[in-house]
Amino acid sequence: MQEESSERGRKRRNGAVKQVGISGCMARIGRGKISHAGNMKPVIVVHGGAGKIVKELDETYRLGVKRAVLKGYDVLRQGGSALTAVEEAVIVMEDEPIFNAGHGSVLNEKGYIEMDAIIMDGKNLDSGAVSAVRNIANPIKLARLVMEKTDHMLLTCEGATLFAKAQGIPETPNDTLITERSRKRWMKNLKENSNPIADQIGLGTVGAVAIDCEGNMACATSTGGLTNKMVGRVGDTACIGSGGYADNNVGAVSTTGHGESIMKVILARLILHYMEQGKSPEEAADAGLNYMKSRVEGTGGAIIVNSSGDWTAKFSTNQMSWAAVKDDQLHIGIYHGENNVIPLEKAL
Amino acid sequence: MEPVIVIHGGAWAIPDHLAECSKTGVKNAAKCGYSVLVNGGNSMQAVESAVRILEDDRSFDAGHGAVLNANGDVELDALIMDGKNLAAGTVSCIKNISNPVTYARLVLEKTSHSMLTGKGADAYAEKLNIARVSRDELVTEYAIQEWEQYHKYKQSVTNLFNTEKAHDTVGAVAIDSEGNVSCATSTGGITNKMVGRVGDSPILGCGGYADNHTGAVSTTGHGESIMKVTLARLVLFYMEQGDTPKAAADQALEYMLHRVHGRGGLVAVSKNGQWAARFTTKRMAWASIQNGILTYGLNPEEKFQECLDNFSCR
Repeated sequence: MQEESSERGRKRRNGAVKQVGISGCMARIGRGKISHAGNMKPVIVVHGGAGKIVKELDETYRLGVKRAVLKGYDVLRQGGSALTAVEEAVIVMEDEPIFNAGHGSVLNEKGYIEMDAIIMDGKNLDSGAVSAVRNIANPIKLARLVMEKTDHMLLTCEGATLFAKAQGIPETPNDTLITERSRKRWMKNLKENSNPIADQIGLGTVGAVAIDCEGNMACATSTGGLTNKMVGRVGDTACIGSGGYADNNVGAVSTTGHGESIMKVILARLILHYMEQGKSPEEAADAGLNYMKSRVEGTGGAIIVNSSGDWTAKFSTNQMSWAAVKDDQLHIGIYHGENNVIPLEKAL
Repeated sequence: MEPVIVIHGGAWAIPDHLAECSKTGVKNAAKCGYSVLVNGGNSMQAVESAVRILEDDRSFDAGHGAVLNANGDVELDALIMDGKNLAAGTVSCIKNISNPVTYARLVLEKTSHSMLTGKGADAYAEKLNIARVSRDELVTEYAIQEWEQYHKYKQSVTNLFNTEKAHDTVGAVAIDSEGNVSCATSTGGITNKMVGRVGDSPILGCGGYADNHTGAVSTTGHGESIMKVTLARLVLFYMEQGDTPKAAADQALEYMLHRVHGRGGLVAVSKNGQWAARFTTKRMAWASIQNGILTYGLNPEEKFQECLDNFSCR
């Protein structure tokens, strides 16, 4: 530690330095403002939704969560905050059409995309969220603006759209956000005897949790919700404690799965409660998901990081695409029990 | 099981001119909810009936009497939750409806969803033939005056709450003779809020939570602070660990004050029928009925009791 900080000091004097080391946390270097880099090793975990993932799309999902986690880790490695890391990671997945968030979101019963998103800062429990927002590319960015630019925590519908306009966020036409896959699924579900819930296959929410080198934690979750949902339906994602929760004293969680079930058990907050009582992230995730299954017959998944940097990705659905980076190792998986470990330099 | 109902009419610095009607309002709501319970109704019916009384009472910021947003419009939030199966219905940012709590219950019963918002919620209300009321019917002279004042001086929400001038939220919790608990919460939010602002009231675990294994809670106060600590769920976590409703309420409100500097209040009932009405604001109108005894108060640590012979919904 001693060596590392003195090296940092030297490089600081020498001016701009891009990167200290692949695993270290570099102090952010600004004009006259030098932040003290903490001792925490940064960790980030992302998920691309819990559900059933068909074999043909297996690789596409892996690539998507990998790109997201590497983007977020890059932020952390350069001394960025957990908040920015989770936001950036989620933006990657919102922009990637395979995921049910931002571009690629599912359609509601009227053929519109209505999205929910939340972001939370574990330092002071600040949070921002949007629900049923239309015509924007990155709801997670809007959620962060709600947190930082208003006195409120959740803006909905037209109010959220008005706020986006006032913040200079460009309007994205509904058609630009729709993929062929989403439109086909919607058409199929308009027919009689269709089963939109069963057809939700592979269409989970995206999310990220991280701890930065200062020990600050954050979570972010974003979704297009349930396919063929009623106009104005809001799921768990936008609801604090359900779609996500972050508290520096305990940890950060982002959830995915059957939204109405997650809301009934307030899954993210429940998992953190188990951790407060001494459970590891893995035990807490299992306890939370088991409770949701036995009490309200709901399945889902969660990613978690705690204040020591321990992390997990667990799910009670068939599959969940997820990826994590810690100690220069990329972890990635989709199936139960799967954890592929790849050294970071090979993954880049 | 001996049925219990507990009501709150919002935690804030209730001005003297509203003190008497606030007390009368929560007493009436408690009597109405209790009459449902003693006549064989369940706790869901009881909390809904009680909250409807408060929504119809112009002294409270919910339904009739709701405050106005930045555009001078009324946007209402409500939640209802059944502790038996954790089923819940919530609505946010709805317009032109007298009794949002009843609509929340219809969302629970008639859809596969838990929460509806904005125009989609309004459209579904029309489909269900829920009576529409004009904005002017919901708005009181007091709400307009308040709005004009805050609009003129552009006070922030934080300011509003620092001075504790903000109106707030009504709610009820109950346990019926079968031991089922429920909660309901309804609000117009805060004066001059941004268009589309949703507070804690319709968010499960924040504005309310009910679970037969533990108890039920309905909260009120600074919405953004309540959301940050998921206040209703927090109170029930403490109760799960063995705290009485009173101890759990005090601990959770204390945590909210320390961690995020937010004030509020709540009513809680446990699965054993113990109850509490607690607040860290200057005042909160509350009332409860158990064993035919009406207990109520407004100022901190204040408690009045009346024996009741008959109860009815007025």
